Amino acid sequence: MLEVRNLIKAFGGKPALRDVSFQLEKGEIYGLLGHNGAGKSTTLGIILGMVAPDEGEACIAGISVQRERRKALHKVGAIFEAPAFYDYMSGWQNLRILMSYSGGFDEKAAREVVERVGLSRRIHSKVCTYSHGMRQRLALAQALLPEPELLLLDEPTDGLDPEGIKWFRDFILELRDERGMTVLFNSHLLSEVEQMCDRVAILREGKRVFEGSVKSFSEGLPIFELALEPWDKAEEIVRSLGGEMISPSRVTLPLNVDPAELSAQLVHAGIKLREMARVHRSLEDVYMEILNGEGSPN
Amino acid sequence: MNFFEQLGGELRKLFAKPRTWMGYGAFLAMEVVILCVYKLEKSQHYMRMMVERNGLEFGTYYSSLTITFTIMLLSMFLLGSIYFALVAGDIVAKENEDGNLRMVFARPISRLRLLLVKYAAICLYTVSFVFFVGISGYAMAVLAVGAEGGLFVMEPKMKVFAAYPEWAEGATRLALSAAGISISMVTLSSMAFMFSCFRIKPAAAAIVTLTILFVDMILQSFPFFKPYESFFITWRMSAWIFFMEQHLSWPKLIESYALLFGLNASFFTIGWLAFQTRDFKT
Repeated sequence: MLEVRNLIKAFGGKPALRDVSFQLEKGEIYGLLGHNGAGKSTTLGIILGMVAPDEGEACIAGISVQRERRKALHKVGAIFEAPAFYDYMSGWQNLRILMSYSGGFDEKAAREVVERVGLSRRIHSKVCTYSHGMRQRLALAQALLPEPELLLLDEPTDGLDPEGIKWFRDFILELRDERGMTVLFNSHLLSEVEQMCDRVAILREGKRVFEGSVKSFSEGLPIFELALEPWDKAEEIVRSLGGEMISPSRVTLPLNVDPAELSAQLVHAGIKLREMARVHRSLEDVYMEILNGEGSPN
Repeated sequence: MNFFEQLGGELRKLFAKPRTWMGYGAFLAMEVVILCVYKLEKSQHYMRMMVERNGLEFGTYYSSLTITFTIMLLSMFLLGSIYFALVAGDIVAKENEDGNLRMVFARPISRLRLLLVKYAAICLYTVSFVFFVGISGYAMAVLAVGAEGGLFVMEPKMKVFAAYPEWAEGATRLALSAAGISISMVTLSSMAFMFSCFRIKPAAAAIVTLTILFVDMILQSFPFFKPYESFFITWRMSAWIFFMEQHLSWPKLIESYALLFGLNASFFTIGWLAFQTRDFKT
């Protein structure tokens, strides 16, 4: 559905993207992660044709955005963080204007979408009277009106309250299930990405340093969270069992080692073991490992 | 059809902004002031001297048409230019500054098409504004001095002097000159529009435009530049006054307006090229 090929982009000689490539299959939700300035927004800008890449291209349904932008964006919707509407006009007028750039305004379809995003009662009020959550709902409405097959979300849940975030997440998942919509989700809210996405890519300094399915995070060596003292003695025991310290309170053990063996040895060595629990490796763990330069788990 | 739908949306945006209406309010207020001045005895005495010194009858030319002409002559270039530059300078740069453009760029519309829509909206705004000033000025003048009378025209800088005792002919010339002013003012709007397409703040686009035009106007008044006055943009923009000449000189008018059309096309093209090569980061 979306293919990003070898994107290279520099702003004023400073590299923003360094050979970034990825692909999204139809119906997939793909997360793009990275710290500020990692190149997420530049990637999105290139996919929408707002930014011209120095090299490489983005293709939507096989059509190059750089060569045939209008055709490529025909079935694309996008939502940005803090969406900027014409504040002095109503939500309805905003939809009318934005849709005039996407092949025309269909009142019936607009009413349905507005109803669906829960904005019917306020759609004729001026946008300057909207809360942030209502603006995001309006943004969602304008993105859905062209009946997109690909939805690009740039930090869409930033600034939303927890209910708003949940509503948004459920809505996107519903859309994917109902319409098989493909979604590129650009965010730094790791828990959101983990709950929504099938696959993620992590960008660091304009380079893709990781790509993998969310499911794969829980695969691999088991991780244990330990509360004990003293740590130096415990570390020796962990190593003697073939394990490794991965953070000040976390260790991994080889698959063939019974965790009971570790606890027995720790107690036997006189270490005060207060707690030992198996933890699942989260996206946050992977993300921190990568961004802290602890190597790529991919 | 879609172009007109987009143009309709652009005009709705333009006229939904309070800033767009500021100019209308300012001109209405100024027209009232000019009318009040015209009603003063001293002012009438001055006008009488000017008309009668040329062997014409004061009663015929102290009229709504003459007052309307004076309003347009005095106000359009100085006051009108401020509003045209403000509105045209805003049309792209303000949307970029506010972040509206990235919402538009998520749509399948080319940059050229977007600029054409915006430029058409600015041209329509400029033309409608000039006609608004003319029509509202005339309506107020009719209320003040009545509908009857001819048209007296005296513009020493462009060396135009004319008198039309018949209302119909005077009104026709006034309408023609309003059309001429509209086209002249489109040049100013085009320049502000061009700057608006650059990586620039909206206010800066308006200020740079006004600076260029005022410098052009100041230099034009230097005696040294007198032989070269036709090279100045503001001189060409004043060509509308030739529509008032007793015998219309079409070659002179066509020459000036062809030049202005060329300038407008150049301004649009430069603006488009600058806009086309820009990156709009989200």
